[in-house]
Amino acid sequence: MTFTLKIWRQNGPADKGRLVTYQVRDISPSMSFIEMLDVVNQQLTLKGEEPLAFEYDCREGICGSCSLVIDGVPHGPDRGTVCQLYMRRFPDGATITIEPWRAKAFPIIKDLVVDRSAFDRIMQAGGYISVNTGGAVDGNVLLIGKDQAETAMDAASCISCGACVAACKNASAMLFVAAKVSHLALLPQGQPERTKRAKAMVAAMDREGFGSCGNQYECEAVCPKSISVRFIAKLNREFLRATIEEPSPLAEQPADPHDESH
Amino acid sequence: MEPSGVQVKKAARFDSLPMIRFFGHILTSLGSKVLIALSGLGLAGFVVFHMLGNLQVFEGQDALNAYAAFLRDMPMALWSARVALLAIVGLHIGLSVRLAIQNRRARPAGYVVHHYRRASLASRTMALTGSLLVLFIVFHLVHLTAGWLDPEFHNRVDLRGQRDVFGNIVHAFQNPLLVAIYLAGQAVLGLHLSHALSSSLQTLGLEHPMLDRLFRGAGPLVALLVVVGNVAIILAIAFGLVHA
Ligand code: HEM
Ligand code: FES
Repeated sequence: MTFTLKIWRQNGPADKGRLVTYQVRDISPSMSFIEMLDVVNQQLTLKGEEPLAFEYDCREGICGSCSLVIDGVPHGPDRGTVCQLYMRRFPDGATITIEPWRAKAFPIIKDLVVDRSAFDRIMQAGGYISVNTGGAVDGNVLLIGKDQAETAMDAASCISCGACVAACKNASAMLFVAAKVSHLALLPQGQPERTKRAKAMVAAMDREGFGSCGNQYECEAVCPKSISVRFIAKLNREFLRATIEEPSPLAEQPADPHDESH
Repeated sequence: MEPSGVQVKKAARFDSLPMIRFFGHILTSLGSKVLIALSGLGLAGFVVFHMLGNLQVFEGQDALNAYAAFLRDMPMALWSARVALLAIVGLHIGLSVRLAIQNRRARPAGYVVHHYRRASLASRTMALTGSLLVLFIVFHLVHLTAGWLDPEFHNRVDLRGQRDVFGNIVHAFQNPLLVAIYLAGQAVLGLHLSHALSSSLQTLGLEHPMLDRLFRGAGPLVALLVVVGNVAIILAIAFGLVHA
């Protein structure tokens, strides 16, 4: 198969960037999109040009590294990851536009690679639980209902790829934060930090410069793990609950400057 | 993480005041959304009752003028309602403009190619329809509440000595330009409401496997009812079905 590729090239964060057109020939229909880009890079290297920078790792749809906007849709035309997208999905001779995730909170490092550490900082703000050290607890000491566990697992299947942010008109990270907050709020292990978590993660999300949710549900439509926007409603509930359940200290105490929930 | 550290310290001075902490939460993106949703629902409630009240046009001159007189005979209630509405509108616009600006900033460089997969037209034009609504509402107030467009007609009285609201709107919708402006206003209102109502339920955290279809349909349905009611009044007069 042959393709005309229009690929975003940008030398670094300060560079302006532009679309550059490349022709590729002899592409096998069973190559994945990432493998096709490997072929492009081989060609570029042979010609002595700078190869494309793009991200991938597992190539099996579980790590969330691959991140390309293909013809205006994050992860391309199917609802999976780029690494699980095959060239047979495109008509022979097609022109394909490839861009990076675009958001203020995901600055471009080079070409198609963006810095997604904003997600890590949101997790640091509240996406954790307290566990006791010492010997491991017996497996089934904490009983969790089957339905509850399934719903928590649905939320936990988020691979933090950031496609939700890339797809959202407002570059909002709500689906990501909703998945993380819901996952932990649904499990007994997540209860000690539950009230703080919702507030802290929403505050961190705002601080990183993500937009707010317009309830357009573009995020759900591109999420490779099919995370439901119902979790966004759940995050809204968690946030309301946390705001109402503001703990009022019995004695005035100095605020902890490291506490992110305020 | 440096800049955020600085912010946290600045905020920390007020942390011991629960009140300030509470407003801190409200001014987050999510808190603002909740207030936009609540104020929007309040406005939507007003719009529904406004439409129902106006349907009395179909009961004739006496009914509508008596209704208008009934409202104006309670100046305290009327002015409280007006002040409350103004405050709600102010809150709604202020917070939504602030959010819209933050949202534009969240993606400084746009895509060269971008395709929506799911977002409805209404959901994509909320800021536009909202801004057009402001213009329409101002025009509507100037036209029918203050009566500046046609002062002579505005202050006429009917046979019972009540202000002739009926005659006033029948006169207005004889004018094709006014009919066009009001129909356009209804289209804009319908678009804004159809996304806004369902969206506000989600913003307030309402979600249920069995009720989701109801929630998602509620916005377009209520929007349709409001628009149909209002448009019926405009067209009935324009086509002479209701006349003085
Ligand atoms: C009759 C008047 C109005 C009604 C009934 C109304 C209703 C609503 C409701 C219920 C929402 C909540 C949506 C949500 O929770 O996501 C909303 C959102 C919004 N409204 Fe209004 N509104 C009115 C007038 C206005 C005006 C005058 C503006 C002017 C700027 C405006 C701008 C917006 C914006 C920007 C949003 C946010 C949309 C988003 O989430 O993306 N609205 N409106
Ligand atoms: S490379 Fe791991 S998800 Fe695509």
